[in-house]
Amino acid sequence: MSQSVLIPATKPVIEQRRRGLSVKKTIVFIFFGILLVTQLYPLLWLLIYSLKTNEEILSGSFFAFPAIWQWENYANAVGGGKYWNYLSNSLFVTSITMAGVIFLSSLAAFAITRFRWKYGQVVMLIFLLGMMIPMQGTLLPLMVIFKNMNILNTHLSLILPYIAFQTPISVFILSGFMRTIPQEIEESAIMDGAGVFRIFRSIILPVSVPPIMTVCILTFINIWNEYIMAATFISSEKLKTLPFGVYSFVSQYSVNYGAIGAFLVLGALPVIIIYFLLAEKITKGMVAGAVKG
Amino acid sequence: MTQKRSRMLGAVMAGVLALSLAACGSGSSNSSSDTSTTPTDTTKTTTDNGNSNSNEKITITFQNIYPDTTDPKNQMLQKIVKQYQTDHPNITIELDSLNTDQQKLKLKTQAASKEVPDITIVNPAAQMQPFIDADLFAPLNDMIEQNGLKDTFQKGILDYYTFNGNVYALPDGNNIGVVYYNKSLFEKAGVKVPTTFEEMVEVVKQLKAKGITPMAIGEKDSWTGSFLFMNVLLRTNGGPGFLKDVVDGKKTFEDPAFKEAVDAFQSLVQAGAFQDGVTSFDYNAGENLFKTGKTAMYFMGSWATGGIETSEAGKDNNVGVFKFPTVNGKGNPDEFMLAPGSAFAVSKNSKHLKETLDFLNYFMLNYPKETFEAKGAVGIAQTVDGDFKAAGYSDMAMDVLNLFKDVKGGDLAFDNTMNPGTAQAHLSSIQNLFVAKKDASEVAKEHQSAYEENK
Amino acid sequence: MNVLKVSRWTIAAFVLPCLLLYVCLVFIPILVSIYSGTLDWNGIGASKFVGFANYTKMFTNDSVFWPALGRTFLLAGFSMLVQVPIALFVAILISRYVRKPNFLVSSYFLPVILSVVVIGQLWKTIYNPASMGGMINQILIQLGLDSWTHSWLTEPKVAIFAVILVSLWQYLGYHILIQFTGIQNIPADIYEAAKIDGAEGFKADRYITLPMIVPIFKISVVLSFIGSLQSFDLIMVMTGGGPAHATDVISSHMYNMSFLSMKYGYGSAIATFLVFVCLLATLIINFLFSRLDKRYS
Repeated sequence: MSQSVLIPATKPVIEQRRRGLSVKKTIVFIFFGILLVTQLYPLLWLLIYSLKTNEEILSGSFFAFPAIWQWENYANAVGGGKYWNYLSNSLFVTSITMAGVIFLSSLAAFAITRFRWKYGQVVMLIFLLGMMIPMQGTLLPLMVIFKNMNILNTHLSLILPYIAFQTPISVFILSGFMRTIPQEIEESAIMDGAGVFRIFRSIILPVSVPPIMTVCILTFINIWNEYIMAATFISSEKLKTLPFGVYSFVSQYSVNYGAIGAFLVLGALPVIIIYFLLAEKITKGMVAGAVKG
Repeated sequence: MTQKRSRMLGAVMAGVLALSLAACGSGSSNSSSDTSTTPTDTTKTTTDNGNSNSNEKITITFQNIYPDTTDPKNQMLQKIVKQYQTDHPNITIELDSLNTDQQKLKLKTQAASKEVPDITIVNPAAQMQPFIDADLFAPLNDMIEQNGLKDTFQKGILDYYTFNGNVYALPDGNNIGVVYYNKSLFEKAGVKVPTTFEEMVEVVKQLKAKGITPMAIGEKDSWTGSFLFMNVLLRTNGGPGFLKDVVDGKKTFEDPAFKEAVDAFQSLVQAGAFQDGVTSFDYNAGENLFKTGKTAMYFMGSWATGGIETSEAGKDNNVGVFKFPTVNGKGNPDEFMLAPGSAFAVSKNSKHLKETLDFLNYFMLNYPKETFEAKGAVGIAQTVDGDFKAAGYSDMAMDVLNLFKDVKGGDLAFDNTMNPGTAQAHLSSIQNLFVAKKDASEVAKEHQSAYEENK
Repeated sequence: MNVLKVSRWTIAAFVLPCLLLYVCLVFIPILVSIYSGTLDWNGIGASKFVGFANYTKMFTNDSVFWPALGRTFLLAGFSMLVQVPIALFVAILISRYVRKPNFLVSSYFLPVILSVVVIGQLWKTIYNPASMGGMINQILIQLGLDSWTHSWLTEPKVAIFAVILVSLWQYLGYHILIQFTGIQNIPADIYEAAKIDGAEGFKADRYITLPMIVPIFKISVVLSFIGSLQSFDLIMVMTGGGPAHATDVISSHMYNMSFLSMKYGYGSAIATFLVFVCLLATLIINFLFSRLDKRYS
């Protein structure tokens, strides 16, 4: 309401600015455009790549189109790469992992930042310690653990370490955010007689949508293309995930690059579609969840 | 009050932690039954050993490095497995097909926790040693006697997979290092097939002068350069066995023969033999330069034959092969770099050892026939009965097969002779020669100190 | 400080599921690695306890270790000091000038989703020598700058920067996304209020956006640091650590030692060292940001 009163007063200033800005604005948009081209180009390149022969790809001409469009690369990818099987496994593993990460790490972050207890910082430190562990360093011990738990060659042997490896950074992000939520919110909720779980579910969680989205995206990009663990712990064809499909075109003395390209397109496509469809919602959700005050 | 509570909390946490640890460490007592199978007779098995047959469902995991379904080797694998499963309805062969690097990593990780798959793939000689030392593989001595499998293998090839008198793995290939050359590019530059290394360097210069990239190599995968270097060393040493002499303490890397090899190798590099940006080309990208007719020569194991003969450059018998020439008049061109292939080994702790051995026996018996039909039989480790020419193998393939007849011994690749630590140091040291000129004695010293450190 | 007084059971219910999973699958493997770091072990056969011998060797007698560590921090430095600030700048520009930012932000984010296999291949063709159709070199030649051409990925001094550039480029959109959402979450009424005080445009950014974005900026910095330390795939795809270790970073060196040279014990010692460096770095980053936080509030 105050806005409408103010606008007339500032109008001349804005207009003056606008003229000055237009040059600036053009430059900015040219900059956006260049950036857009460089960031979108790989996708286009990949599309062309996926329709070339091995020789065309390896001779490396950057802009060239294929002489004959190799649609059979896609046939090979879908047939040989067992695309649908891998895709459904990837979707399954990734979605369970994402749900698990969000659920577990938001609980922990909530407890660390909002509860009055002594060991909050200790627990946080323990989490921090694991934030930067390279996965390769833990392969061997994990193998032994999973062998003894008897879950080798099951999806559990992927989901569990994926969640575990994502929790430190997620707890870090979520607790960083939750610390900034004003305490009055809880205080008034307690006055109303709300229990801890209710405070968590109906106050903290809704407010934390933006960092949760960040965690989601982070988890997703770390899991979707993960291959080293998957290749080590999964042996059965029916349990394998998308990256297996990509690497299945790499043989000892030959690589079928065209099929790899086709498979990568097919692997990235659902993600890109989902992402662009949800982009509006994701940002909206983030904004709606914004902390007021 | 708070203190008490926190202490209790600590106790609870410790308790749960201990519990979870126990859970983590609980044994795998309920693994699927591995009781012996009752030996009743089967209807269709062609083999006469281990007629594993009951109603018990058996799954054999077969870790392999043929994941590409468009690759003939994969198709051959699928075909044999399918046939075997039809003959043995209770047996399922689970193929765990991985690319080579990942398979190596996986096997090492599995070996550390003694979880080796029923059948896996290993490299010969020194690269196999750690697995043998850890006692992970089952001896195959009895198995290869069955159905005459042993006699299908070429003489001496199984020695590379034999330790303490036991054969532990069966190879899928046996190759030699040869130089492929593009006939029309040679003609264009007016050069002939070199008979000495010095001529080869001269040919390189002449090709270069005509604007033709003389040689292709995929030096990002550093074994390629090492393979070539070792062939130079095989010549300057006047015969095979240099590395063995080093291991036996009879020679060091600072031996003149080694330094001479480094100098000769550098003369080739410095003459501009290889394409620009050589260390960023992986094996395939390097080979592709030759296949697309962009370079005139290519030194590689004979396994590359199949790919080259169907390539652009290989059309109309445009590609020929020659033996790696003598260096400074030393060595014998009939001595080759030998590359016994990766090999199938069976886990000692396999739950279905008998069935696994039976399957592998069947697999290897059918291997030559199937690869021959898939036109991939140049450089396999078994003898093939069949007329290559009549089966439509190219002239170049025939040339390569003829080279095999001339083989009078040779050396294995560096990493098949030396321990992994020294091998890695060597690979990186040779890779460095492609981007920087170095003093031969410095290279020799690098090798020697790496060797002593990893002894 | 925190308001909620709850029973220990409640605390346990909130913290333990997450903590246990983490402790079992990340923390214990680290402890195992620390132990393995004191062994002379090829990863398969028998092992021998050697105390701190691996560390002594690492610090005093490993010609690859220090340069690899240096390159790791070089990458981290570029990432934290160049990439993240640029991303913040772009994010501010987007939130200022673009009415429907979703498409733009999403597009910038795309390279992150694509597998490193693609990214590596793409940039290899860009970096190729001119004779192989490499774009950069061809452009340089067209501009008459022949002397500027390089064999970007194979000249030991240049190669690491070539790889770093790709890494910065690939994750730029990621940081733009994070910071952009951060800016979106700054309540609009603060800007309104500032406008009344005459703070608009970059002045508003200086006094509102920057201080308000600090927590998000911190996340970006930490993520870029982690990413740099773990950068492994891209290096493997593009150069494999070569030529002659010229692009090896600490994680690729660790991998080479553990699995190729089969010195698992030694590799574990490197991993252990890495863990402590990381911890130290996290604490430093935290400390710096808490200073920054105080300055702004």
